[in-house]
Amino acid sequence: MADHRTPAVAVTGMSAVSGFGRGTEALCDALFAGRTAFGPVTRFDVSRRRARSAATMDGPADLADELAWAADEACRSAGLQSPLREACPVLLAVHADPALARSADPARAAAGAADSAVVLARRCGLGPAIRAYTTGCIAGSTAVIDAVQMIRSGRSERVLVVAGYLVDADYFIAFDAGRALSPGGVVRSFSKARDGMLLGDAAAAVLLESAEAAERRGAPRHALLAGWGRTGDGYHVCQPKPDGDGVARAVEAALDRAGLPAERIGYVNAHGTGTKQSDAAEAIGLRRALGTYAERVPLSSTKSAHGHTLEGSALLELVITVLALQRGRLPVNAGYQDQDPDCALNLVLEPATTDAEYGLSVNSAFGGANTALVVQAGSRD
Amino acid sequence: MIETIQHEAVLDEAAVEEAARAVGLAVLAQSRWPQAGAAEPEPLPGFVHSPFSPLVAATAGRCLAQWYGPAPVPPLDGDRIALILVSVRGDVAIARAIAQSADGGRMSPLLFFQSVANAVLGHVASVWGIGGPLLCTSPAADPEEDALALAAGVLALGDADTALVVRAEPACAEGEQDWSYALLVRQGAGTPNAIGRGV
Repeated sequence: MADHRTPAVAVTGMSAVSGFGRGTEALCDALFAGRTAFGPVTRFDVSRRRARSAATMDGPADLADELAWAADEACRSAGLQSPLREACPVLLAVHADPALARSADPARAAAGAADSAVVLARRCGLGPAIRAYTTGCIAGSTAVIDAVQMIRSGRSERVLVVAGYLVDADYFIAFDAGRALSPGGVVRSFSKARDGMLLGDAAAAVLLESAEAAERRGAPRHALLAGWGRTGDGYHVCQPKPDGDGVARAVEAALDRAGLPAERIGYVNAHGTGTKQSDAAEAIGLRRALGTYAERVPLSSTKSAHGHTLEGSALLELVITVLALQRGRLPVNAGYQDQDPDCALNLVLEPATTDAEYGLSVNSAFGGANTALVVQAGSRD
Repeated sequence: MIETIQHEAVLDEAAVEEAARAVGLAVLAQSRWPQAGAAEPEPLPGFVHSPFSPLVAATAGRCLAQWYGPAPVPPLDGDRIALILVSVRGDVAIARAIAQSADGGRMSPLLFFQSVANAVLGHVASVWGIGGPLLCTSPAADPEEDALALAAGVLALGDADTALVVRAEPACAEGEQDWSYALLVRQGAGTPNAIGRGV
């Protein structure tokens, strides 16, 4: 059940960069209308690949620049100023800069993903970089859960979580070689005709703060982090457990911590990569955790619009879940074509409004890692 | 941040136990590589181009075996064990293999799943029947301190009762050697015997 003895944790600042461009406005405009950001990849040569599409921003893009923009924007939206900003610890979800692997300097090659966190914190005048999370698609949500722990334990009043990935040749070609990408160029999450994921650009930042500290300084309260769960499938290096057990346990733990019955959740932002096994396993897991309510709760995978943004995905999708609650609009599950009996879910297929108070964001990753986050709407726009 | 990693400094078992105690953790079991008498890590099916994942699996397996005996762990324990892989550098050889393959235009499908650090934890979890949280990090400051703080946090939140922390660093320069250690920890300051052995 919900633990009311420890400090509540609020989302007081957030920002997003996606294939739709910089800012949450561009993201909301597209997701609530059912538009997608996919197009031909021009950032590098894909002429010899099965798949040739991704959700990339226009023009050249540099991940360090986008992470810095996202971090600055989240602090600005939270009204976080000196000296609190300079003391705010940073958790970053990224994989190591691909440039490191191409460096002839052994020391540079050994810098690791943490190097990006240190560079980001210094560049943005933030507090200490604690660590980088390299846990793939759950890197951002895992960082959020650890930030909650840092706040609840009193280690820090606030933590800035930043996450990002920009579509690059290394991962595009690796995922294409693994036949994970959609050759059809459309992500059809939970649709019978789904044939794979597509990658997308993202940088996102969320300022998590003790609700008490946030109130003291008059910060906005976009949402409360009400519950979380994290589990492993114990099944395979990269395939999800077909019975959805890990997803189910993560969702159950998140609901239990929030002290909520499933029926209080008004929107689910699903992992929904658009791959055959993953979507089916997730649907079964949601059914196990939510019961028959899994067939009624509005649900979408926004990867169908902004693509799979790897280490950026879980944090971007948390921001989207909060925005949906704040604005009372449901993101559309784009690219849907036909019903899959293995995915009996209430997909958001047309623009729709909502008065949901609670949202659930679910993510899974290689190794069978799963996370679930429950957020409660804060002040509405 | 460029760090010269000296593995000798982290091979002192007593120092590790002391550091764990400082954050409220009891060390149930430890394993290390290289270690006198320890066999070379066995190859893992599908994990190619890098010794990193086999090293992680070997160190993790030896540590788990010390406490639980042969795999798998008892079913009731499995879902309450967290697997935490801490590596400042990460799997440098895999990153290099992916970069070289991308630059050359041909990529082995086996590099696909190895591109994400969690993959080897999925292997450890499936062999040992572990269903708790999986985390992979690259610490920015003191890696030992951060690894223990992270494990203490996961346990304090109640996401697991026991955490297996595996630290692994690949050699990157002349004269360096791949090294790894693993710790099985629980909350509390007791000795393993006081806590109650798993086997």
